[in-house]
Amino acid sequence: MKTTRCYLANDTSSRAAGAGRLADAWSDRPEIQLIRTSSRGAFFLEPMVERDTPNGREAWFNVAPNDLPRIVGGVGGTPVAEIPFLQQQTRFTFANFGITEPLALDEYQTRGGLKGLAAAQSLSPEGIVEALRISRLRGRGGAAFPVWKKWQVAQQTGSEQKYVVANADEGDAGTYCDRMIMEGDPFRLIEGMMICARAIGATHGYLYCRYEYPAAARAMKFSIQKAREADLLDCDDYPFDLEVVTGAGSYVCGEETALLESLEGRRGVVLAKPPYPAESGLYGNPTIVSNVLTFATIPNILANGGAWHASIGTEGSRGTMALQIGGRVKQPGLVEVPFGLTLHDVLDRFGGGMAPGSRFKAVQVGGPLGSLFPESQLDIPICYDAFAEAGAILGHGGIVVYDDETNMVELARHFMAFTADESCGKCTPCRIGSVRGREILERIQAGEGTAESLDLLKDLGETMKATSLCALGGRAPYPVLTAIEHFPEEFKKGLTH
Amino acid sequence: MTTRHRPGLAEALEYCRPVPPVKSNILKTLLAVQSALGHVPTSAIPQIAQVLGVTDAQVAGVLSYYSDLRTQSPGRHLIRVCMGESCTANHGGRVLRAIQDHVRVAVGGRTLEGRFTVEKMSCAGNCAVSPTVMIDEDLCGRVTPSEVPSLLEPYT
Repeated sequence: MKTTRCYLANDTSSRAAGAGRLADAWSDRPEIQLIRTSSRGAFFLEPMVERDTPNGREAWFNVAPNDLPRIVGGVGGTPVAEIPFLQQQTRFTFANFGITEPLALDEYQTRGGLKGLAAAQSLSPEGIVEALRISRLRGRGGAAFPVWKKWQVAQQTGSEQKYVVANADEGDAGTYCDRMIMEGDPFRLIEGMMICARAIGATHGYLYCRYEYPAAARAMKFSIQKAREADLLDCDDYPFDLEVVTGAGSYVCGEETALLESLEGRRGVVLAKPPYPAESGLYGNPTIVSNVLTFATIPNILANGGAWHASIGTEGSRGTMALQIGGRVKQPGLVEVPFGLTLHDVLDRFGGGMAPGSRFKAVQVGGPLGSLFPESQLDIPICYDAFAEAGAILGHGGIVVYDDETNMVELARHFMAFTADESCGKCTPCRIGSVRGREILERIQAGEGTAESLDLLKDLGETMKATSLCALGGRAPYPVLTAIEHFPEEFKKGLTH
Repeated sequence: MTTRHRPGLAEALEYCRPVPPVKSNILKTLLAVQSALGHVPTSAIPQIAQVLGVTDAQVAGVLSYYSDLRTQSPGRHLIRVCMGESCTANHGGRVLRAIQDHVRVAVGGRTLEGRFTVEKMSCAGNCAVSPTVMIDEDLCGRVTPSEVPSLLEPYT
């Protein structure tokens, strides 16, 4: 009997959508050979099954076990190249997604992997930093700091021991691209970290992975071991090793100083800067802490040159951004596009409109600390400058759409309660302010707010913005204040006089 | 205070005993203990502190800080309902209520027969397939309130 090669994603979200059940149901079917790949990120189509045709891959969407005869018979498939959600994207960092087996190092290499590292090996450490300066890459974790400046500080700080740390504490609700990279293209992250290690002279690296991502931690441990066995980590007598460390459920550990405290095994409390970790980080040594997506972006920059990267995107935001669409949209999923599309374009072209039976109310960009946008403000371009000008953040690229059933007072309370739960307690504005903010919102919710409540909330918000030690307290007021600004009538309903 | 012997605790701690130049790591040790015992009993704090060469207060401080470290033994199955923004937008709160009604327990509590512990989690990173419920290590997506009974049935 002829066996048909079929491809099915094996990442956490595809399995949650039913890919695991599908694989179990088909495990003893002799007519197919199932290859488990990463997901293309079009999660609304998962579980999606693909097979090869002379004209490239064809796909079947939202597959159930009894769809197998159709797939084997080649009936009713859609060419992958014609899926609008994917066709309109510019995939560089996510080029391998849906195509390769994540843990196959040889496949990674066949598809251009390790070329960035090879290019870095031909450059001096200063040359690597120069390539990043030309690329104008900014950190993708949220702070958007120029990557080369950070690396240059670590490079120029004299020390016997330096570290490179991947921040895989992807705590922003609504974001999942780091998890996808760790599960779906782990060698790209390892390659990016190795390039950084060469540039700054680090011999040891850590990947700080959140507790909620067990599959990602397993994939990374496996790939690191594979890279080690292939003598990839220690190439040309340059010693380097990597270790995966697990967090334990603290949002603020995504802040770099708190992350390093946690990595040393202590309470993940934020420290005042300076000194910056690039000068004095892990165990007091120069340390580069960067987001997973940032490291994963770097191999292509070294392979294609800094100028290539700088030629994409907008003036202040070069390259592509991985946007992660979620909430009440028809087509949630991962979208890699050059910076510059408007929020409206992204929701329209990729989000595909609202989920059946729901109407748009607001969209939040940048995780639980991001501002809310009403329908009238969707023409904002997706880039760091436009967002900064609007007093908003792009953060880690999370986009969550809320429908008209959403109660804005409850949502605002949810955000303040989140900050109150997650505050590390180091600075007073965040520790006390978030609790008082939550209490005011609870009073409004109970119909016991007074005329002063909203003014008090605004005043408190401004204090938290101006005086908090890190972005948790400093940004927490934004979703609350934008909710009040755009939906004042809902808050006024809860005021007694 | 003498520490009651617990099978698993001493073995877990043996792996975490700091051997110079490797420094003691409280969080890593507590995660190892939790992995061995299912939770970190507060009565184990002195023994952990002694092995690591730190104070009881330092261990207690780390233990109380991280929400994923638990001091109470959980039920046989841990249900975690995601309260992240995408799950909230997709009315994950209704799924949580359906679970609570079905197994009859408050958030943070363990059912009487010890079958389930129900917790909220802040984001599972499964936002594109929300709302999300995590049962032990199994992640379930696009969960509706009506399918809760059948979802929980296999976990005995």
